[in-house]
Amino acid sequence: MSVPVRPILSALLRNRTGAVLVAMQIAIALAVLVNALYIVVQRAEKMGRPTGIDVDNVMVIASAGFTERFQTVPSIQEDLAYLRALPGVVAASVTGSIPLSDGGSNNPLLTNPEAHAGENYNALEIDEQGLAALGVHLVAGRNFTHEEIQPPLTKLDASRFVPEIIVSRALAERLFPHQSPLGKRVYDPLRQSATIVGVVDPVMGCFPSSDHPDWVYFLPRYPYAFGGSLVYLVRTQPGQRAALMRVVEQHLAKSNPDRVIDWVRPLNYFRDLTYLGDRSMEIYLITVTALMIAVTCLGIFALATFNVSTRTKQIGTRRAVGARRRDIVQYFLVENGLVTGAGVIVGCALALATGYYLSLQYALPRLNLYFLVGGVLLLWATGQLAAWQPARRAAAVPPSVATRTV
Amino acid sequence: MLAYYMRLALRSFGRNPGITALMVLAIALGIAVCVMTLTVYHAMSGNPIWWKNDRLYAVTMDNWDPKQSYRRNSTLPPPEMTYQDTQHLFRSDIPRRKVIMYATDGVVSGAGNVPAAHVSTRVTTADFFAMFEAPFLYGGGWGAGADDPAQPLIVLSRAENQKLFGGVNSVGRTLRWNDHEFRVAGVLDDWFPRPRFFDLNGGSFGEPEKAFIPFGWGAQLELLNDEETDCWKPEKLDTFRDFMASDCVWLQMWVELPDAASRERMQSFMDGYWAEQHKAGRFQRPRDNRLTNVSGWLRDNRVVDNDNRVLVGLAFAFLAVCLINTVGLLLAKFLNGAPVTGVRRALGASRRHIFFQHLVEVAVLSVLGAVLGLGLAALGLAAVHHLYASAHLYQRGGYQELMHFDAVGVLWAVILALAATLAAGLYPAWRVGRLPPAVYLKSQ
Repeated sequence: MSVPVRPILSALLRNRTGAVLVAMQIAIALAVLVNALYIVVQRAEKMGRPTGIDVDNVMVIASAGFTERFQTVPSIQEDLAYLRALPGVVAASVTGSIPLSDGGSNNPLLTNPEAHAGENYNALEIDEQGLAALGVHLVAGRNFTHEEIQPPLTKLDASRFVPEIIVSRALAERLFPHQSPLGKRVYDPLRQSATIVGVVDPVMGCFPSSDHPDWVYFLPRYPYAFGGSLVYLVRTQPGQRAALMRVVEQHLAKSNPDRVIDWVRPLNYFRDLTYLGDRSMEIYLITVTALMIAVTCLGIFALATFNVSTRTKQIGTRRAVGARRRDIVQYFLVENGLVTGAGVIVGCALALATGYYLSLQYALPRLNLYFLVGGVLLLWATGQLAAWQPARRAAAVPPSVATRTV
Repeated sequence: MLAYYMRLALRSFGRNPGITALMVLAIALGIAVCVMTLTVYHAMSGNPIWWKNDRLYAVTMDNWDPKQSYRRNSTLPPPEMTYQDTQHLFRSDIPRRKVIMYATDGVVSGAGNVPAAHVSTRVTTADFFAMFEAPFLYGGGWGAGADDPAQPLIVLSRAENQKLFGGVNSVGRTLRWNDHEFRVAGVLDDWFPRPRFFDLNGGSFGEPEKAFIPFGWGAQLELLNDEETDCWKPEKLDTFRDFMASDCVWLQMWVELPDAASRERMQSFMDGYWAEQHKAGRFQRPRDNRLTNVSGWLRDNRVVDNDNRVLVGLAFAFLAVCLINTVGLLLAKFLNGAPVTGVRRALGASRRHIFFQHLVEVAVLSVLGAVLGLGLAALGLAAVHHLYASAHLYQRGGYQELMHFDAVGVLWAVILALAATLAAGLYPAWRVGRLPPAVYLKSQ
């Protein structure tokens, strides 16, 4: 069966304004759809990266001593003893900055004491329960022991380093490619050395938005607390976090008058905050793109319906001289297909140009061509679908219409 | 005549209610999305102290590592300064006003029965309030003499004064800040410059701090910067004194220079200091001493993020689709009514009359679309605002405050509605006016 493209095309060309407008809509919709989806997928990938942390069962407590009487170490020990004795608590530790919050400290490490300067990596101070409190697994070497935990830095020795560290697998690979990092020495900028005693599973540190959030190392030390906040990390049994948070907040708020508890929050809070911009962008892009396609489809639908109603007599005449219902449906679908096809072709160029512009201007990665192919198919199919019902209606026009209004 | 055209338009809508609704909806959605995006964009890209734009300058000097720049992808100097450099530059009397400052936080207690709590605090020199035009509700700031040696004076935000003292004039009352006694010198009125241009660390849209204390307390109580401290040099930083003498950057410095001449003098003063230090072994990077005005500062620090620009582009692409959609539908509708138009032409209506008749119809559509669009935008903004607020996500730089629907949104809606009318209506109205009436009369 041959499709009568030529007569449809020449009819279209005689009355082209409407067709051009539809094609323009399709072109813009395609360019937006493809680029928006591409950005959405990137954001989803970013947010979906594993954290390596048992985020759903960890709570974070901010505590700050503010009087002269406040003693950091005894206070930490008292609080940790209380937290660890609570039924439902798996582990509790103390640190200086909040994981996944995009805030914390980056310090250089060097593998060679002669090197000029090391690169910065995320450092997190923890005690012997720190890994367990985050739900991070050791893959090689050992954990810190209680005896190894160093006292906090003070106002007199703030440059002090630690003798041992634990590194993430990604950082180990970065520092000592293709070698076992265990027992290797690393140096701080003052060339004080530490030995790597353990390696943990991939774990995201404090900076999910950085280029390498998994370049993390752990220091066996109570946190630096010059009047700043201490952060307790407490991991609970699944399902018990919410209840324990209330208990803990009530107790700690009263247990020591020389400090304040700023808040007790689930760790998810900080991860969500970090990804807030990405999440909003995703929602916005999806909503607007969906609306755009909906508007385009409704437009195609309305225009096709309109065309059918204005062409009733013409359709009736065609039916009267022998066109089958199928031919009428085909006519409208082919017409729509041609218009949509033209729009899609222009749209491809527009999508590529937009993608190129975005990659230049905003340093986004270059558009992936699979998205373009997918977008083309999707828009073309939706276009046909929008024209389907009006085409059916056209086919229902009886041949007798042709004779009525002469 | 206009009233008659309006009646005709309404009758025309009645003939194709579905298509009319679709056109209004398309215009409304296009306008709503644009107004939402532009409202946020406008708030982000605003300059909250534009009237002083060319008098206030952020001071920066590139003291960074000779082997690499502060930022990997730009050669801008660090946005903050070292203690030693600010101390030297502060001695200059070229600027009319000058300020060095940083953010820290302290625990406030001892104000009646209010429980002790953390309060974000700015440690700053005296000129801060006058320079950035922070309005006082009660009292005032402190004199330059109170900076060093530091006097126990504190300025509170209006909200903090409300919390601590129930909103009364608390000037002269005392409270404890990190367990040291301070006396309230003044209470600020509501003051939310957005973006928070004077210190863009820790979220560009955050509120100013809730308390302000004289700069000298920083060294006296050894207060660290709560937001951003960056060091590059391998040097011993055991004590706060080491830290103050180091090449770490952690202080913001601004100067007020009333005219071009003073700006030039300040620049050469900085360059002179740079040369002296360069000879002594510091500042080994290419000379880059900057005085950056407010708008330049907001640009350099990328206050408007890329996502937002992409969204503005997206919104306009969406509006374009909606308008093209409307043009197509209008055209089809008008041409469909050509026989009637033919009769009107034959009875004496001129092309201009036909054109205006149809333009009135489009204008009515656009106004309906704009009103509906405005409503949708307000709803949308309220929904986003609510979502942010209920998720307690306000901590991160106050984004939800950008979601306010204001006069700017209304203005944009009006402009967009006008543009929509012109863009969508002109061609179909013109086209229908050009139709030869005879053809349509014949076919009846």
